[in-house]
Amino acid sequence: MIITKKKDFKEFLESIRDYKSFFLIGCSECASLCGTGGEPELAAMKEALEAEGKKVTGTMLPKTGCQTLGTKIELKKDKEACAAAEAIIVMSCGAGTQSAVEIFPDKPVFPSNDTLFLGNMTRFQMFDERCSLCGQCILDKTGGICPVTACPKGLLNGPCGGTNEGKCEVSPDIECAWVRIYNRMKKLNRLDDMKKPLRPKNWAASRKPATLIAREKEEVKK
Amino acid sequence: MSFKSALESGKFVVTAEVGPPKGTDIKKILHEAEALKGKVDALNVTDNQSAVMRISSVSFCKLLLEMGQEPILQMTCRDRNRIGLQSDLLGASILGIKNVLCMTGDHPNAGDHKEAKAVYDIESVQLLEIVDSLNNGKDMMGNELKGATDFYQGAVVTPESVPLEPQLIKFEKKVTAGAKFFQTQAIYDIERFKSFMGHARQFPVKILAGLVLLKSAGMANFMNKFVPGINVPQNLIDELKNAGKEKALDAGIDIMARHIRQLRDEKICDGVHIMAIGAEDKVPEIMERAGLL
Repeated sequence: MIITKKKDFKEFLESIRDYKSFFLIGCSECASLCGTGGEPELAAMKEALEAEGKKVTGTMLPKTGCQTLGTKIELKKDKEACAAAEAIIVMSCGAGTQSAVEIFPDKPVFPSNDTLFLGNMTRFQMFDERCSLCGQCILDKTGGICPVTACPKGLLNGPCGGTNEGKCEVSPDIECAWVRIYNRMKKLNRLDDMKKPLRPKNWAASRKPATLIAREKEEVKK
Repeated sequence: MSFKSALESGKFVVTAEVGPPKGTDIKKILHEAEALKGKVDALNVTDNQSAVMRISSVSFCKLLLEMGQEPILQMTCRDRNRIGLQSDLLGASILGIKNVLCMTGDHPNAGDHKEAKAVYDIESVQLLEIVDSLNNGKDMMGNELKGATDFYQGAVVTPESVPLEPQLIKFEKKVTAGAKFFQTQAIYDIERFKSFMGHARQFPVKILAGLVLLKSAGMANFMNKFVPGINVPQNLIDELKNAGKEKALDAGIDIMARHIRQLRDEKICDGVHIMAIGAEDKVPEIMERAGLL
């Protein structure tokens, strides 16, 4: 999922200081699990804004905030509340925020969160980054552990000299990705795979802005 | 005799290291380099060591060449992408730089520009492959070069790394990628180093044992605690402690000279790489006590 973190409230207030009335949009997917844009956070934001003398014309929790068309349809029921707001606040990720930008071409849209990474929830509201969206997955060659993400240097051919009893030179809180890969491949009896050199990555595979049409072209025409 | 010919002739080779300073005043470092002239076989020039921004390695290597010293260009993958690395390698080649040491490089987090974007587009194994390719007249994409390079390429290895096996797998990858010589991270336990050499001797590469000059017991304890892959045995720490504050450096010089003698006399490896870390003026004395001068 996409991991988000609430912006510092004072800084956030500074970003919206020119406006008085808002419509709030959360997200039932990642932002709900992150505790940054679910039902309780929408209610808390409404209360906090009102305490600051702002007006909240309504709130809405889309099923999937980054699904632009679906969110637009879901928002139909809130047409009046949206119209009454000077600006929109989106409490999900950067993608959710830009759904709103597309849905509301005439209104300013403000994010209340910072979008951090693509990761997994390991315990309740504890998250670890797992994927760098590099466009060319090598998990098949690295024992299922991603060195592009888990190694601060993104090394592809083994640990650097900074590896230290399984810890990383960048921080002792980081497990050395290549020691993890080594241990796992050893366990799976696949150490020979680790001995094969990996070629430099093709960064063109993650060139920005990426776009993808996953359905058949015929269908697009219709 | 060049560094390459010296190593290949079977001579016990000595390299030392200079770190270009931060700023344009190079009087001190030129003086240090001058003092090593005719004594060491080559001088490593560090590449923004510890991720602290300094004078570029390539330009300082050129100054050493002008002084009649043979440089080993240290090249890390932290600050340049594959285009920058290859371009700088071609540039180093036309300046007459012959030796290149391919390394990953300390993370920016260790240095004085912690907010820098870490590049690592390429890493050490791949950089060795690139050097091999440039030597064969092609860039890494296979495009023909008008004029090939003629580098003698080396790499680093940490014989005391824990766990050791992943490090040995990478060592082997570096050999396959074309490394001709290795300079190791600092070693202090010669018996343990012998067992590493037992493994390394299977491969047709030259190994220079890395030696860091111990200046005090405090420094040894600090390295044991904070520098990955360095392990100073307690008996050496005691030796420094017993020497007393004023004589500690002298004891450190003795320890290194003793290790060099043993490495050479027992033909354990092909040479040594002396890292004096701020005491480069002591290198000739170390060599004298080791019987190398």
